[in-house]
Amino acid sequence: MNLLPLDENAALFAQGYLTTLQLSIGAIVLSLVLGTIVACLRVWGGAVLEALTRGYVEFFRNTPLLVQLLFLAVLLAPANLNITRDAFVAALIGLSIYTASYVSEAVRSGILSVDLRQMEAARGLGLSQLEAIRFVVLPQAIRTVIPPLGNLSIALVKNTAIASGIAANEMLKAAGVLESRTLQFEWYYLAVLGYWTMTIPLAWLVGRIERRLAYAR
Amino acid sequence: MTAFAAARRHASGRGTLIAAAIVVAFVALLFLTGRIDGRKWQPFLELSTWRFLGEGLLVTLGVAGAALLLSMGFGLVLGVLRAALPGRAGWSVAIPMELARATPILTILLVVFFGLLRAGGSRDPAIAGIIGLTIYNSAVIGEIVRAGIASIARGESEAARSLGLSYIQTMRAVVLPQALARMTPALVSQLITLIKDTSLLFILAAPEVLSQGRAFVNFYSQQVGSVLLETYFVIACIFFAINYPLSRFSRRLEARRPAHERVHVLGEEDQPIVLAEPTAGRP
Repeated sequence: MNLLPLDENAALFAQGYLTTLQLSIGAIVLSLVLGTIVACLRVWGGAVLEALTRGYVEFFRNTPLLVQLLFLAVLLAPANLNITRDAFVAALIGLSIYTASYVSEAVRSGILSVDLRQMEAARGLGLSQLEAIRFVVLPQAIRTVIPPLGNLSIALVKNTAIASGIAANEMLKAAGVLESRTLQFEWYYLAVLGYWTMTIPLAWLVGRIERRLAYAR
Repeated sequence: MTAFAAARRHASGRGTLIAAAIVVAFVALLFLTGRIDGRKWQPFLELSTWRFLGEGLLVTLGVAGAALLLSMGFGLVLGVLRAALPGRAGWSVAIPMELARATPILTILLVVFFGLLRAGGSRDPAIAGIIGLTIYNSAVIGEIVRAGIASIARGESEAARSLGLSYIQTMRAVVLPQALARMTPALVSQLITLIKDTSLLFILAAPEVLSQGRAFVNFYSQQVGSVLLETYFVIACIFFAINYPLSRFSRRLEARRPAHERVHVLGEEDQPIVLAEPTAGRP
């Protein structure tokens, strides 16, 4: 396999690697934000929002990501909502919505582990409910759930491979294109190596944080 | 925490009712505004549709069941070996397991599928699917077993050994039964992941439920236009109907366990959430 820097094939693969990275980082950030909002709505949003967000979380957790991505790609396409035909955008949105349902469960369990009196004390000191959530409860809740969130980010990086199912040009798709172009199956091995360069350091980091927090208590 | 929990428990019964009402109102609104085309749901009233999807579902469940049984067997062996083997021998089991878990399952499926093709082996995507899913899930279940064994206090096995039980007897009669009880939520969660992952066989063109759905879309699109969205939604609902009871079961089992007895593995989204607390088996 010819892997010189100027090789067109290698450039395509490198592009796929970068797209996987972008997809991972973008979806991690988006799902953290969305998941935290959903968690807050579930805890403090009242009965209607609680029911709605719970329905969202249960439905997205218990259905395959591939089906969700296929649905979303069709939904966003010009024939329907006419938002985008870009598979990368559909994959980014789909991965974020899917992972946010797990993030919200993790953050919610973090919120429930914070002593209720913290909230009462903050309100008693004159903070509004939003301020108390933002400055008192959430910082403690998020710190508790850093290991589960790190765990979800590992899962998310692996799930980006599924975006190749809607023809987003990430690493696995690039490997597939190169395989059919060069008839060299080894591109898939390269993709495996590519994923290892992301998941193994991440898993090491998350494991380390988990152990450190376990000792700190 | 107790006040939050009480409030949540109070809201949850009502929540189901409210959720149902919202869904009904939403669907009615979509229908009235013409967003939902009644004709496009017509195919789902036909018995033949469900027979067709049912065939796919049988493949899905068959693949998931076969992969589950195989990976439970391999996983148990790998987990016990990893817990038992010291030093370098332990690493020779641990490293392949860690590498398999660090690889996206779809990548493993493609490598196995094309690998089998090139080696002149089976061309059946369902076989490749079972092998790929088994490789991945054996590693995950092996890790769950290892974590389960590690969660049992060392005094248990030391006591059993000093009573004259052999290592194998200690494992079989003392450690594994307790570890298995602790592992159940994690194993059920992994089963949910496995069932969802069978949909990836669509990419290998195995005739599972998603592929059947696509074939069916092609058939109907000449008559009523594209029914893609409707079909994907129905397929998602089928998976939901299987996985939701499993996830409730897993959470109910897990809620009974104190935090230090909860077992989970890294890198799988469906695993139980374990908050940072002192882990058992640690000095």
